[in-house]
Amino acid sequence: MLMSRSVASAVSQVSSSTSSLLPNSKQLFSFKTLSGYRSSSFCGGSIRKVNHKPLQMTSSSMTPRAMASKQLENADQLIDSIETFIFDCDGVIWKGDKLIEGVPETLDMLRAKGKRLVFVTNNSTKSRKQYGKKFETLGLNVNEEEIFASSFAAAAYLQSINFPKDKKVYVIGEEGILKELELAGFQYLGGPDDGKKQIELKPGFLMEHEHDVGAVVVGFDRYFNYYKIQYGTLCIRENPGCLFIATNRDAVTHLTDAQEWAGGGSMVGALVGSTQREPLVVGKPSTFMMDYLADKFGIQKSQICMVGDRLDTDILFGQNGGCKTLLVLSGVTSISMLESPDNKIQPDFYTSKISDFLSPKAATV
Amino acid sequence: MAPQLLSSRTFKSLFDSVDTFLFDCDGVIWKGETLIDGVSQTIDLIRSKGKNVVFVTNNSVKSRRQYAEKFRSLGLSSVTQDEIFSSSFAAAMYLKFNNFPKDKKVYVIGGEGVLEELQIAGFTGLGGPEDGEKKAQWKSNCLFEHDKSVICVGLDPNINYYKLQYGTLCVRENPGCLFIATNRDAVGHMTDLQEWPGAGCMVAAMCGSTEREPIVVGKPSSFMMDFLLQKFGTDSSRMCMVGDRLDTDILFGQNAGCKTLLVLTGVTSESDLLEKGNKIEPDYYTRTVSDITKLMDSPSK
Repeated sequence: MLMSRSVASAVSQVSSSTSSLLPNSKQLFSFKTLSGYRSSSFCGGSIRKVNHKPLQMTSSSMTPRAMASKQLENADQLIDSIETFIFDCDGVIWKGDKLIEGVPETLDMLRAKGKRLVFVTNNSTKSRKQYGKKFETLGLNVNEEEIFASSFAAAAYLQSINFPKDKKVYVIGEEGILKELELAGFQYLGGPDDGKKQIELKPGFLMEHEHDVGAVVVGFDRYFNYYKIQYGTLCIRENPGCLFIATNRDAVTHLTDAQEWAGGGSMVGALVGSTQREPLVVGKPSTFMMDYLADKFGIQKSQICMVGDRLDTDILFGQNGGCKTLLVLSGVTSISMLESPDNKIQPDFYTSKISDFLSPKAATV
Repeated sequence: MAPQLLSSRTFKSLFDSVDTFLFDCDGVIWKGETLIDGVSQTIDLIRSKGKNVVFVTNNSVKSRRQYAEKFRSLGLSSVTQDEIFSSSFAAAMYLKFNNFPKDKKVYVIGGEGVLEELQIAGFTGLGGPEDGEKKAQWKSNCLFEHDKSVICVGLDPNINYYKLQYGTLCVRENPGCLFIATNRDAVGHMTDLQEWPGAGCMVAAMCGSTEREPIVVGKPSSFMMDFLLQKFGTDSSRMCMVGDRLDTDILFGQNAGCKTLLVLTGVTSESDLLEKGNKIEPDYYTRTVSDITKLMDSPSK
């Protein structure tokens, strides 16, 4: 029935991990060896479609998780076993424009121990360069090359498939995406300026659209409107082979520190609703960005720890990528959400915030 | 059984077995603001043969009263408000039948039609078209206030981030907040020349941010059908649903046990109907509603 969730696109499903044990399991394990973990069946560079809602974790190729998440008690031991830390940003490093307590010292400590630091964010409003400035403003010593935003991921994906430079990209999203496309040498239309365009639905009115748009990229967009929805819909439905790419599908995001805000999942949902097609997702939990940076830095996935605040993007991203996962409770996920019987995603560890790394033994959650 | 092209032979048996014709509007009666050829004469003819005529539309932008005005302006002045069942009306009726408290407020992402129907039913609806002008303020420590107990989402050509955020907060943060959708049509003929994103788009946007599924009051949900059957005291097997969309109109009719007739003047083409992947088969199909007039007059073979 066309009214229900759209049929699967040609892109294969994200195989996500399944926890067969409920989080309240009382099993006690000694410090886990993580080498026996389900490995990702993905090959580098490919995009996975996310079956976003509900949190369906179907996995035929992966063994179910045997272990519930453990509170991080021995930070030193974890740190010593890891070569690269991947950090989410919103809810881990900062909340809105406010730095989370203890972050600068923690990052400095990890660098001093020779660890590589990478920052992967689904927030597509800024380009890597603009994020670099944000880090700088907050007093953090982070290089632009260490930042991977979903805006960058969209451009990198198009590069990876040799998207023709004579085709155009229609953008439903903010400046970050436009800047990254420009840097990668792609032509684009749309973006925030189309937020000013009005529609008048009257007889004889026909919206024209460019037939050489070969991809529509949809992300978080505070200037979202009917004009953009229709333009994107027309391109996807009427331009043969037009790609439908989503930077991410997060339901909510921390625009300000006080409250959650409707996220990219909303704008992407709108286009799914009108086109009845599922997008290629380049942001978390799709492993595109993980494969990209593993390849770029030549890192082994078993030597990576993903640190994030969101189960269905950050932790799933880490698990799909085959690395260790640490949930922090300084963002959108609370301990009760983690331990709820409805939750099927179990990170290896959890702790209250990343500055818990500074106290080598147990931190109170 | 495969859908049959309506012929003079099959038409006669269909017409005799039905007391009430249910018509969808967009793509059947009109396209945007343009009446489809021959519709007016056909409706009059059906009535003259003693059949009832009812209009069931998923388009929630207008109220029943506003639809009656539209019918009048297009030359169909025989159509009264009581014969029109819009999803805007269905939303208000849903709240009424479920004894929704009159002191609680409804936030509307949609057109005036929903606001008007809510008001007529005694509810307070807020939001609607004027929130199309509002911009969300994202400043540090600034809380976005929201206090509604129902959000009702329908077709909204004035959709914006403010409305999405308001609705999202109501559903996520107000305990027990209802999430109602007038309908989930993906696209529709909002103008005569082209298809445009339908309510399905706005509803999916809200599902994306709330991670919840709505209660749908419009086709193909049976809510409007149950309402109609009760109101007219008739048997669904003596009704024929005439529509242009398989996954709303035809499914709506089939679910209730009505006969179904697909017309090709709207969103569905003959190849869409006959393609292998299609699972929804109406009893009959014909090019346009005015074929009924032609078939009525021709001798059955």
